Amino acid sequence: MSQEMQKRVLIDMDRCIECGSCAAACYFSHGNMPIVNTADAGVALLPIICRQCKSASCVDACPAEAMIRDDNGVVRRRLFRCIGCGSCAKACPFGVLPSELGGLPAGYRSTERLSGHQIAKCDLCEDVTCGDADAVPRCVAACPAGALTFADEHEAPKAKLVVYGGRTTGESPYKRRVGAAAR
Amino acid sequence: MSSEADKSAKCTLCPAGCRMALVKAAPRGAALRLGEPVRLEYPTQIGSGICPRGSAIGELLTHRRRILAAGSRAAAGNGSRRHIDLPKAAREIVRACGRGVTVVLDGNIPCEQLAEAAGWVRSWQGAKICFAIEPADEQLLLGLEASGTEYLAADKISECDGYLIVGDVFSANPTLAKGVLDRYESESKTPIVVIDAAGGKASKFATHVVSVSPGAICEAVGAVAAAAGVDVAAPSAGEFSSAVGAGKAIAACKRLGVLIAAEYGRSASWRQIGFVAGRLAKARGGAAAPETAGMNALAAVRLAPKLGAVDMAEALSGGGLVVVGCDLLGMLGLPKMDVVAAAAALPNRTTDAAAFVLPMAMPGEYGGTYLAPGRQPERVAGLVPAPAGVPNPCKVVASLASAAGASKPDIGSAVAGPDARDRLEVDAPAPAGACADCDPPVLLFARQAAEAGRGELTSHATYQRAIQPLPEAKISPAMAARLNLKNLSVARIEAGGRSLQARLRVLPETPDGVVVLPESCPQARALNPLSVDGKTGAFSTGPVSCSISI
Repeated sequence: MSQEMQKRVLIDMDRCIECGSCAAACYFSHGNMPIVNTADAGVALLPIICRQCKSASCVDACPAEAMIRDDNGVVRRRLFRCIGCGSCAKACPFGVLPSELGGLPAGYRSTERLSGHQIAKCDLCEDVTCGDADAVPRCVAACPAGALTFADEHEAPKAKLVVYGGRTTGESPYKRRVGAAAR
Repeated sequence: MSSEADKSAKCTLCPAGCRMALVKAAPRGAALRLGEPVRLEYPTQIGSGICPRGSAIGELLTHRRRILAAGSRAAAGNGSRRHIDLPKAAREIVRACGRGVTVVLDGNIPCEQLAEAAGWVRSWQGAKICFAIEPADEQLLLGLEASGTEYLAADKISECDGYLIVGDVFSANPTLAKGVLDRYESESKTPIVVIDAAGGKASKFATHVVSVSPGAICEAVGAVAAAAGVDVAAPSAGEFSSAVGAGKAIAACKRLGVLIAAEYGRSASWRQIGFVAGRLAKARGGAAAPETAGMNALAAVRLAPKLGAVDMAEALSGGGLVVVGCDLLGMLGLPKMDVVAAAAALPNRTTDAAAFVLPMAMPGEYGGTYLAPGRQPERVAGLVPAPAGVPNPCKVVASLASAAGASKPDIGSAVAGPDARDRLEVDAPAPAGACADCDPPVLLFARQAAEAGRGELTSHATYQRAIQPLPEAKISPAMAARLNLKNLSVARIEAGGRSLQARLRVLPETPDGVVVLPESCPQARALNPLSVDGKTGAFSTGPVSCSISI
């Protein structure tokens, strides 16, 4: 059993067309507890996906041992231990874990059910990826533009991608292309 | 729930035709029941897609608001509807229609159903049929058919050596992006020319953005073509300095891909735009990819004259309107209309206006032959059978025709019918006049990746309702500063004597002077309803001025 997640969801920001397919895939497959959301990042609407940190602050911060690194090396949340205190969300250095509804599009999480008060957490779709080396999380599978890949971050340079944290950019971002055309 | 039959089940909400498979969200017994959660399972291959529209289908199949029985407002007598059985409803609808009946049938259903429904209506005295697709899509396809251009298959997109993109095609069909970006990645000199007055998603990936005033799409395409050395006889108006560089960039293309989305309310001359763009694609050895709302729009346009279907203007000039499978009021942006009966899977503006409401199967519950542009006709299977007693669109027409005494058509020949692969022989459109300028802010509509068509189905899904409880109005930062408007504030957009509450989104990519609303929102369309153009006889509308207030 590996204790370190080898693969991550990498985002090629030069390919993201902001269609929301990743967020929809997460929403429809995780009931009312989606974790892949889109956030307004300046000029772009980009998906926010857990980076599966090697040293995960959310795991350290959780007082109820709900946030753990499981046998597959995936940092995940144990549903019935989560007390919704938001400690993990506050500890997350990347702002990936939503602690309150205000940070999300209205109605994204149910406030009527218990699950609506718990912290949603990406589990890399372990139900499909665990035990199948070729399977990918649903957000990656759904991405029609090929912006999301499920790969070892060390493979990113081979695809001419530059990794910043868990995100990547291509070597010639579209903004530079538009800028060059305007000039 | 996934089975061998599911392997050919595809989403038919856009020409991409993404494969779908259904799974139960919770194991609660063997049979599929209303209210039981089901969802789509996602493909295992990276980039195989399925966008938020297709993703919603799984949830919608068992939606709690499904129309499962016929209802009559007249039977209730108090404005609400009372359930009646389907044969009785059919008899009462036929009686209410009187002598003249017009069946407006959704054009995005399988070819077999189009042919069979037309066969039933032929034997129904005093009845006529119209295949309803988005009027802008219809005009665009007629223009492309007249131009003689080939159609571009999705898997051939990456083989093009240059692209002319009109409108937000990446929202209309998100799978297109992979082909374009794959090509750009392998050949960084590939020109990507974008004409989009609303600054949609495709604009961000452009190597050349053609600055275009709202409504002047035809002129812009013509200017690009002229700069590329292709004479397409397009109207000229003003100067398109940005088109010169764009035209020169695609002048050397040996296989130009022209990707077009005919968005609502953008232009009154989509037929001319289709013709000009098609001629440009043909002259540069390329092909066109019209991104229609629905997979079978091209087949509906080709089959309509062969099956004796009338156009929308003629259909609406008659009485006894029976709408089967489409939100006609939402599509045309009309606030009200006399509709005798409407069949739909989920409530929409047309069912709200109709005296009788009939249940109908939805995409995913019936299969048949579809013809996406650039592809061979393909057999698409349903995911699940429709709920008991819920007919498919053709059976709805058949039940009404039977009640009117029509005889069963020769199903064998009707199903085989005319071949949708045959190209339509249409004349070149008359040159369109230059568009009239309107004072800013100008109201534009843009397609959305989250919603299909008029949103009559997808707007019922929880994800779509969650991400956009109010329609979003996109404006530029400059306009926001000028009018003292704040991002995410709720504003009232007024045009044509009607108004709409929308949430403002201040986005830098939005050109100054325009307000962009989603075309999938019928309430938004009602701000600029379609009307019959005196010259072309088609339903159309161009951009109009609007006002914003807090």
